Amino acid sequence: MLLYTFLLKSVCILLAQNSYRLGQVSVEPYSCRDCPSMEASKENASKEYADFEEKVKRTIYIDHLSPQVTTPVIKAALAQCANVTNVEFIVNYTIPYDIPSAALVELDDEMQAKAAVELMTDFPFIIGGMPRPVRATYAKAEMFRDRPPCPDLKKYFRWIKQGDGEYEAMRKLKNLAKRQEAENMALIKNLLDEEKELAKQQQEALNGNGKKYQMLENVVSDGTIRNLAHHYGVKLDD
Amino acid sequence: MDGSNEQIQFSWGKLRGKGGVKMDTQFYESFTLDNVKYSLYDCVYLFKHGDPEPYIGKILKIWEQNRSKKVKILWFFLPKEIQKYLRGSVVENEIFLASGDGIGLADINPLEAVAGKCTVICISKDERNRQPSPQEQAMADYIFYRVFDVKNCTLSDQLPDKIAGLEVKVLLNPKDELVISSPNAVNVPLNPNADDGLAATAPPPHSAVKEENESPDAAVPLSHPAAKEVAAKLPARVPLSQSVVSKEEQKPVAVIPISESVIKKEDKKSAAAISLSQSAIKEEEKPVASTPHPRSAVVENNAKYTQSQNAHGGERPPKKLKLSQEATVKNMIPAVTETRPLELPSRQADRSKWFKISWDDKLRRADEQGTLVYIQNLDIHFAAADIEELIREALQLSCTAKPINHPTYDDPNNGKAYAIFRTKNDADSAISKINSGLVVGGRPLYCSKGLLKVPKSSGTFVGHLSLHNIKIGQKQREEQKKAVSTSHCSQPNTIEYDLALDWMLLRAKQEKKFEILHKHHKDGRKGFASIGSKTAKAGN
Repeated sequence: MLLYTFLLKSVCILLAQNSYRLGQVSVEPYSCRDCPSMEASKENASKEYADFEEKVKRTIYIDHLSPQVTTPVIKAALAQCANVTNVEFIVNYTIPYDIPSAALVELDDEMQAKAAVELMTDFPFIIGGMPRPVRATYAKAEMFRDRPPCPDLKKYFRWIKQGDGEYEAMRKLKNLAKRQEAENMALIKNLLDEEKELAKQQQEALNGNGKKYQMLENVVSDGTIRNLAHHYGVKLDD
Repeated sequence: MDGSNEQIQFSWGKLRGKGGVKMDTQFYESFTLDNVKYSLYDCVYLFKHGDPEPYIGKILKIWEQNRSKKVKILWFFLPKEIQKYLRGSVVENEIFLASGDGIGLADINPLEAVAGKCTVICISKDERNRQPSPQEQAMADYIFYRVFDVKNCTLSDQLPDKIAGLEVKVLLNPKDELVISSPNAVNVPLNPNADDGLAATAPPPHSAVKEENESPDAAVPLSHPAAKEVAAKLPARVPLSQSVVSKEEQKPVAVIPISESVIKKEDKKSAAAISLSQSAIKEEEKPVASTPHPRSAVVENNAKYTQSQNAHGGERPPKKLKLSQEATVKNMIPAVTETRPLELPSRQADRSKWFKISWDDKLRRADEQGTLVYIQNLDIHFAAADIEELIREALQLSCTAKPINHPTYDDPNNGKAYAIFRTKNDADSAISKINSGLVVGGRPLYCSKGLLKVPKSSGTFVGHLSLHNIKIGQKQREEQKKAVSTSHCSQPNTIEYDLALDWMLLRAKQEKKFEILHKHHKDGRKGFASIGSKTAKAGN
């Protein structure tokens, strides 16, 4: 805390000149002196964003993927209901746990996207390995890392110094944000642990069943079953 | 050129012939742009919007069609661009000529994208190459003797017969020794008031310091006074420029006397750019003697210029439409930016995708160099360009940034991004400023340095079960292998179906939990926003 205020003070001196400056940051270039090209660029930006939105509509977001799943696997998987034009895997930069893979899959059109999502929500769709199914949802603009800027997004920024009225409130908000972040991480950890639990249970059950079947198979294959059947007087038909 | 003139000087040179499908294309041998003459096979700099450093290329063709002027450029590569394929040592100032076929060999660009000439001497021992004299070699901006095949991604010092359809001989050293012509000496009256209205960034990125670490080999002492400042007018920017200066470690080229206000930069690229924007270049011949002329740029004799009026090599502002009122002195420069079409779209896309000097690599390198900043609490709707612009506006620093939220797990209330700055000092100052109180749209940002530790994903996947104990016949094993790479919809009559359903149930629960938590967060934040504004009102 002490360090924080000290840092603040030293920075405040730096900011002295800027003190309270209200700046409007908008995507439009600032006061164009006289450049018709500015208008053109604005149009370009809108057009680019419109194209991007169109792309978003026909992209689906698949997660809970195994890290071993690759692009051709996804293409083949969806081949039954959609044609895949592009697959972009999401890189994990922020979550400090071992999380399943996820991908943005671009399809030919919106109809296919709809069909794919519906298929995967109605039935457990399994890609590569079993039995954990994947999840598919419609993609959203903010999922794309390399997206064009939204031309209508108005951004404002302000510098706030220690003496300003809002300073306290902003500081609290900052702390709140940090705490919320921590909460989110805790939840993620909790969920991942649950998943591990479930997997463990299923594996155990599976192993148990496996053993049973194996036993049966052995019995059948080496003929003991005939003796048993004879012993119990049970008819054996296949 | 006075302030009111908004056109860049341009004229065609020698005609070469007509062509094209409708005979509507006129080819040329040379042209003059901004009072610099460019001929076929000259080596030039081209700037790409957003990149601090220019690309180097050789002009292969010049033409005009339908009133649009184009040049075809054969690219050179910097050592850092092909680091992955580089074997052995790299000579000082070495660059590599592109050869072979495919993306990255050559591009067609608008003529206006050319930003200056540079000297590139070939020192290959190939018999077709006229061996350069030692002076030529020392004075050249760059040298090359190796080619990089863009198709096979291999480096070779054997020059092929043809590159891009041309005999390689024409691409090597010209017959006559490079005549060191006097740099364009256009004096523009410095107008110290030029940048009164400028709110935009300070030293345009391209003239910013190149990261020394990245290409130590190519560290040519090119000190060129690059940036400017009509320092008197803009105190706010001083801290920035000083931080830039302090970062300098370049060995200045012997001669150039430069007053202290001039910031020496080792960016040789900006050099040529500087020579081009004559707007404020007052060139002196004599001190230039020991520096290659294209870079002569600004040389002051201290006596003449006061601090606030240093003729600085204009930064050739990167071609950004938005920077119509680019920083510093020249009136011309705003004009320049307006009329120049700016982008080199094809080039950038090619380079980043092809080399896969991907964002990930950049991140890692930036982290090592201490220029990586992790910013949180942004609006998740901000795109990369928005964030970069924000940084530029608020801090007058330029950076590359990308938002990095994970769509499944990250809280949508808290947008996160990585920003890579030019220098460590930039990064440090950005962090301290942002943390001290930058509020964007009601969200106080906070940031820290460095990469987050993210574990590499293990190959195994929780939830994919396998049958261990069963002896599997050869055939079955193959089938199983195939099974892993295929996929299917689970049918209700299998065990698998039940298991899968378990998972779906679990997931539905998880989604619900996330939803509740994130909504809770959102409401919490709203509460604050209103408190904040109330206090503000009360304070006012």
